[in-house]
Amino acid sequence: MPESPHPPHKPGISRREFLSGTGLTAAATALIGPGETLGQADKAKAIATPGFGPKPVACELTVNGTRITVQIEPRVTLLDCLRHYMDVTGPKRVCDRGTCGACTVLLNGKPIYACTMLALEAQGKNIETPESLYQDGQLHRVPAAFAQYDAQQCGFCTPGFVMAMKGCFDRNPKATPAEVERCLAGNICRCGTYQQMRHALRSLCQKGG
Amino acid sequence: MAEIKWPAKRRVIGTRVPRLDGPDKATGRARYSQDINRPGMLHAVILRSPYAHCRIKSLDLSEAEKAPGVRAIVTVGQLNYTGGRKEGKPGWAFPVNKTDVGRELFYHGDEILAIAADTEEHARDALRLVKIEYEQLPFIVKESTALQKRNAPSTVPGKDASNVIPGGNRTQGDPDAAKKAAEVLVTGTYGVPVITHCCLETHGLVAEWENPKSLVIWCTTQAVPGTAGQLQGFLAGHGITASVRCITHYMGGGFGSKFGPDIQGQLAAVLAWLAKAPVKLFLDRDEEHLAAGNRPSATATVTIAGNRDGTITLFEATSHGTPGIGRSAGVNIGILPYVYEVANVRISTEIVRLNHGAARAMRAPAHPQNCFITESAVDDFANAAGLDPMEVRLKNLPPNDPNAIKTQPTSFLALRQTIYATEIGIAAELSQWKKKWHPPGKGPTKGPWKHGIGMALHTWGGAGRADNDVFVTIHSDGSVLVQCSTQDLGTGERTVLAIVVAEVLGLEPKELTVIIGESQIGRSTGSGGSTTTPGTAPAALVAAINARDELFRKIAPKLGTQPESLAIEAGKITDKASGKSYTWRQACARLGMESVRGQGNWQPGLSNLGVGGVQVAEVWVDTETGVVRLERIVAVQDCGMVVNKLGCESQVAGGVIMGINLAMFEEMIVDEQTGRMVNPDFEFYKLGGILDMPEIIVHMHDMPERGVIGIGEPPTISTAAAIGNAICNALGVRVPRTPFSPDRVLAALQSKT
Repeated sequence: MPESPHPPHKPGISRREFLSGTGLTAAATALIGPGETLGQADKAKAIATPGFGPKPVACELTVNGTRITVQIEPRVTLLDCLRHYMDVTGPKRVCDRGTCGACTVLLNGKPIYACTMLALEAQGKNIETPESLYQDGQLHRVPAAFAQYDAQQCGFCTPGFVMAMKGCFDRNPKATPAEVERCLAGNICRCGTYQQMRHALRSLCQKGG
Repeated sequence: MAEIKWPAKRRVIGTRVPRLDGPDKATGRARYSQDINRPGMLHAVILRSPYAHCRIKSLDLSEAEKAPGVRAIVTVGQLNYTGGRKEGKPGWAFPVNKTDVGRELFYHGDEILAIAADTEEHARDALRLVKIEYEQLPFIVKESTALQKRNAPSTVPGKDASNVIPGGNRTQGDPDAAKKAAEVLVTGTYGVPVITHCCLETHGLVAEWENPKSLVIWCTTQAVPGTAGQLQGFLAGHGITASVRCITHYMGGGFGSKFGPDIQGQLAAVLAWLAKAPVKLFLDRDEEHLAAGNRPSATATVTIAGNRDGTITLFEATSHGTPGIGRSAGVNIGILPYVYEVANVRISTEIVRLNHGAARAMRAPAHPQNCFITESAVDDFANAAGLDPMEVRLKNLPPNDPNAIKTQPTSFLALRQTIYATEIGIAAELSQWKKKWHPPGKGPTKGPWKHGIGMALHTWGGAGRADNDVFVTIHSDGSVLVQCSTQDLGTGERTVLAIVVAEVLGLEPKELTVIIGESQIGRSTGSGGSTTTPGTAPAALVAAINARDELFRKIAPKLGTQPESLAIEAGKITDKASGKSYTWRQACARLGMESVRGQGNWQPGLSNLGVGGVQVAEVWVDTETGVVRLERIVAVQDCGMVVNKLGCESQVAGGVIMGINLAMFEEMIVDEQTGRMVNPDFEFYKLGGILDMPEIIVHMHDMPERGVIGIGEPPTISTAAAIGNAICNALGVRVPRTPFSPDRVLAALQSKT
């Protein structure tokens, strides 16, 4: 018998396969209906070839106030949908399993890991990505503080930290430095920019968020 | 031509300049290689060995080839195949039963093949349809096992008889006599495990053939022209003559692990060739841990002998470390006894090759390990002699070399004792060492918590390198373009170039446009050994001066003066002859339809090499739970002339944090039963978060007279050693191995009773 090519630590089914087989996605597909479209499907982005799982369905997301519709398989995560299907690449794919925070986006104002949510589940919700913080030459005060205090080196984790910090100040404009730090505890930086992040967040706390 | 020197009075250099690309990076607008999406782009994934050592018995791709969306498959065997390969008939023209069946795989994660499909989901589906049989072979994944079975046949690639190979021996003076004469003699065993680089942007690239003669890659690499050249060489080896252009505008960390296209680069280039479409291939987090490099472990049994006054007379070490299936480990006889010069030395090292991924250079290769080994032992010696370890270090500092003082007065050899002594003094002040140091185990307590303070020294090279071309173009509208093919690993390289050019042209850094990370711009060297700033900053100075002089030549006649009469002040150009002055834009407007360009390469006299560095750690240790809480780290660091103080401070604090991770959290754990890494993730391979971090006090010891020296690597070297020494100072007992996890702290406490 040929052996499975899966390394043993990857169980016979992947996380995505698992999710696609659970009620979560089944419910989502039932709700939308396989092959049905929500709003105007972008035919150009439709997948030509169906895969083994449920067929691609239309998925409409509201990203930074803009509605975008793509055809995706139900197993596609919000992160992959943004990065691979919508070319929204501010949220980064680093661990792809909810441990590092590089993919943090705000969902109806709440910071979430975009890698741990299916794109279909994010429909109808307001998704904010880091790109929204630099529009028409206007830089939001949180990324501005990151830049001013050099709270970034390679910068690959930075958009995630920025979104986590923005979510924190959005909820509580009077957050203390210790409270802001707790909001950043779900994010990892490898270059080690925490000291500069502290400078940045203290300056923002002094300004009242 | 007059000798080029750094300006004596510096307006921009040495100040705190926020990085130019900060806003773009912080808002996700900066496009990293992993963010590149091209029209019609395919996604590729790699199949890897599930075993630590095996042979491919059979391989059947027929089902995978037919899977939905699959556009191309290529195997590593095909890439490597040389039998019968000839011009125009590349290895991948041969079937896999010829190229891959029988091929040996040497570690969990060893590459087998890659599949490109229209979506990543389809590529992963297809990977599961590959029918492959393996013959499992003996493997060794623990150093202790390999050392016990040193006569067993080798399980790693190459022709060595055994997994254990000699790493070299060195003897100096008369170690036996020194041991006999010793007033104080201590022996201890110290070690650090294998850790991985954990670049947050995983290794990989997007590969796109513009035409059969031209390949473009957006690759996350710390050697932009080097990576293009390596891939070009690989293709030429397969009879494909093509130019390769590498683009790396932004990269998400490298730390020494990203110097070439690697196998995934070759796979992507071939998949794109076969599928006639752009291919994106980036590793997953687990693949990054398994196959994208790691730092060798080091374990050493060290004996130090000396006098009661603290003079060290003997340093003896027996050490070993593993580079995985690689051949070069971090324990290095050339580097022990690290920063010290000892009269009598005996060192022997062994390299233990294991069935896990190969080591690669990692931030200050070999130094953190050898620093940890040496500085732990020096501290134990000080403790045994009943002396303040700071005094012992001051007593044993390497002297300033009298010859070097005469011939090269700004060299590290001429200055090292002075640099260390000065920095130790600064660190003592900033850490309140005199007040806070106490004999081991005799410090303040708060309930079960005990206080400790410890220190360590380090050194690094950081020399400039030739073959770095910088181009400065001044346009008639006053805009300035700075170009270099070099890369920014996160060090702020764009901003470094802008600072130097702005200094010369009287402008502000943010007024310049800097383009880096494109191989076609010119020559640049890989970012290894902390050489990028000392390699490119001098080149930028030369280029800016050449551009400025060319500008003066062009506009002087139009201003009715001589080029020699023109000079630059902040924001303006003055004519000494007439006393007139012009704004930068007014002056540049005289170029009319022209623009001027200055070229510069690195030249000697503007950079230097060799730095010191002192770090002090202060900790509290819970003797009931074994938890270590870091209170404060003081880092005093020199790097010759500071170019960007803000960037330098960032590098030092970041280096300290990487050292904290080594000390407290990181360890690659490979299971002896299965031969598999059990923590290829971020749940069980720990990196500290912001709440784990102590206060970090950074002091830059600026020495402008020495020229520019690299800063990236040195500040990460001594942190783990300083923390280990602080824990020992708290407990009165040494925790000999990192990470200093609660179980190890408790085990050490238990061993004391």
